[in-house]
Amino acid sequence: MKAAQFEHHEPTTVDEAVSLLESLDEPTILAGGQSLVPMLRFRLARPDTVVDINGIDSLDYLHEDNGYLKMGALARHADVEDSEVVADHYGSLADAAPLIADPQIRNRGTVVGSMAQADPKGDWGSVLLAHDGEVVARGPAGERTIPADQLFLLPYDTSLGEDELITEARVPAPVDGEGSAYHKLKRKTGDYAMAGVAARVVLDDDRRIEEAGIGMTAVDITNARAPEAEDHLVGERPSADLFEEAGELAAEASNPESDEHGDAAYKERMVDVLTQRALGDAVERAGVVKRRVTQ
Amino acid sequence: MTETREITLTVNGTEHTIEVEPRRLLVHAIREDLDLTGTHIGCDTGNCGACTVLKDGEPVKSCLSFAVQADGSEIMTVEGMEDLPEASGELHPLQEGFREEHGLQCGYCTPGMIMSGKALLDESPDPDEDEIREAISGNLCRCTGYQNIVKSIEYAAEELKEPAAADGGTVTAEQRFADDDFDCGVEDCCGGPSTSATHIEGADPQFDDAGGDTDE
Ligand SMILES: Cc1cc2nc3c(=O)[nH]c(=O)nc-3n(C[C@H](O)[C@H](O)[C@H](O)COP(=O)(O)OP(=O)(O)OC[C@H]3O[C@@H](n4cnc5c(N)ncnc54)[C@H](O)[C@@H]3O)c2cc1C
Ligand code: FES
Ligand code: FES
Repeated sequence: MKAAQFEHHEPTTVDEAVSLLESLDEPTILAGGQSLVPMLRFRLARPDTVVDINGIDSLDYLHEDNGYLKMGALARHADVEDSEVVADHYGSLADAAPLIADPQIRNRGTVVGSMAQADPKGDWGSVLLAHDGEVVARGPAGERTIPADQLFLLPYDTSLGEDELITEARVPAPVDGEGSAYHKLKRKTGDYAMAGVAARVVLDDDRRIEEAGIGMTAVDITNARAPEAEDHLVGERPSADLFEEAGELAAEASNPESDEHGDAAYKERMVDVLTQRALGDAVERAGVVKRRVTQ
Repeated sequence: MTETREITLTVNGTEHTIEVEPRRLLVHAIREDLDLTGTHIGCDTGNCGACTVLKDGEPVKSCLSFAVQADGSEIMTVEGMEDLPEASGELHPLQEGFREEHGLQCGYCTPGMIMSGKALLDESPDPDEDEIREAISGNLCRCTGYQNIVKSIEYAAEELKEPAAADGGTVTAEQRFADDDFDCGVEDCCGGPSTSATHIEGADPQFDDAGGDTDE
């Protein structure tokens, strides 16, 4: 099907975009278009006006700055995949990027667009949740930051105002002893997750878990954290038993639905397994293995 | 009321100026406005990759972008392959690979596969099988089972590395020196230890240096 008619606006600055969002009637933002274009074609969305942000060069960045890894609204999945700083320091992002869709879609789709899309099957939401990440929004009233765990309300629904644009998604730069990972189960390459888990841990000098973050994909109405599992990990030394317990708690916190990929009980079991694996990788990357050997 | 906009696309090196509605998909502009029907449409969801084209050198799905978003960009479609210098006026090594290795049956996915293959070889001229499979992971084929598509791209990589060698032809000294700069000084230098048997005039390209069959 063809998309319904719309007016196409191409601002070149954030200010211009924000004033368009304010003045136009129910505008829709177009970023990578990898979710929006199919929705327009199926007429699941029928906006009169589309504000295409691809010409705002100032939003095209991915770098560490001021204690954060910052991804501008035009940072594509492929930019994360190709980034050296991500490969060296952000295990979960480096894991997640190449697991999203396929090379063509990764060349266009953006991290920020995924956050705004708020698809519970999206991978970036879980990663940002595990990292206590946030998005920066700009609207007529100025700029505000929205923590990832306050962004997602319902499937495809966020706490973002209609006249607001997300300019950036960011995660705190890792501290010493921090490691993270993302594990995703899917039927074949290119598919959305059947289940996915992002894990982040910070180990203290005594090799105890000081901080833990767990984000889950495709097993609830939005990307969701597993707070009981996180609390259970804090203060403990990493071990297979501990991870098993955390996996069970994460599975309990999840609310998957049965579908053609598997029934709810199977998916819960997968959350359990993926949580253990992600924690294992996160702890390894946090350097505990290396420290054990040298001690 | 239908508002149209004038956009300029450079497709396979030729500049076109067309009038499109903002809702016109890039793939429809390519197929219907420019009459380049080599680029296929196989789905409504962005899954199949039959519509893959190179936009400013990057593979993208042309059904997931509006034509107005490509204004001012360089697009390459499968029709442009035979005009590339590597094609020497005939089929491009990738196209030849698909023919030689039976990389297609119905052919529906082939233009997209070729464009994904081209993007891969531009980035990574000597890909291993995993890289090839990753590069075509956004392209679905209902017929071949992918095995021969992988071989087709391997064929092209080989051919592009050693022009004319993979099909049994010979490589001239100039071509080889363009590949690697080894020169022992002797007239008609054999190219040094890294040179495979296929470089030697008359050698059977079926066999590698060790005399083993290259056809796994
Ligand atoms: C076949 C296929 C497979 C896929 N597989 C996966 C997968 O495995 N995992 C995964 O995570 N994703 C997957 N995706 C989705 C893909 O990652 C999209 O790129 C992403 O969901 C949306 O990003 P986008 O930049 O394309 O946004 P768009 O499609 O342009 O926009 C999506 C929504 O976000 C809004 N929006 C975009 N940018 C902003 C902004 N800066 N501020 C406010 N609102 C904004 C838009 O208005 C729209 O409502 C897949 C998509 C396809 C077509
Ligand atoms: S037609 Fe574009 S992905 Fe199927
Ligand atoms: S050859 Fe028929 S779909 Fe690939």
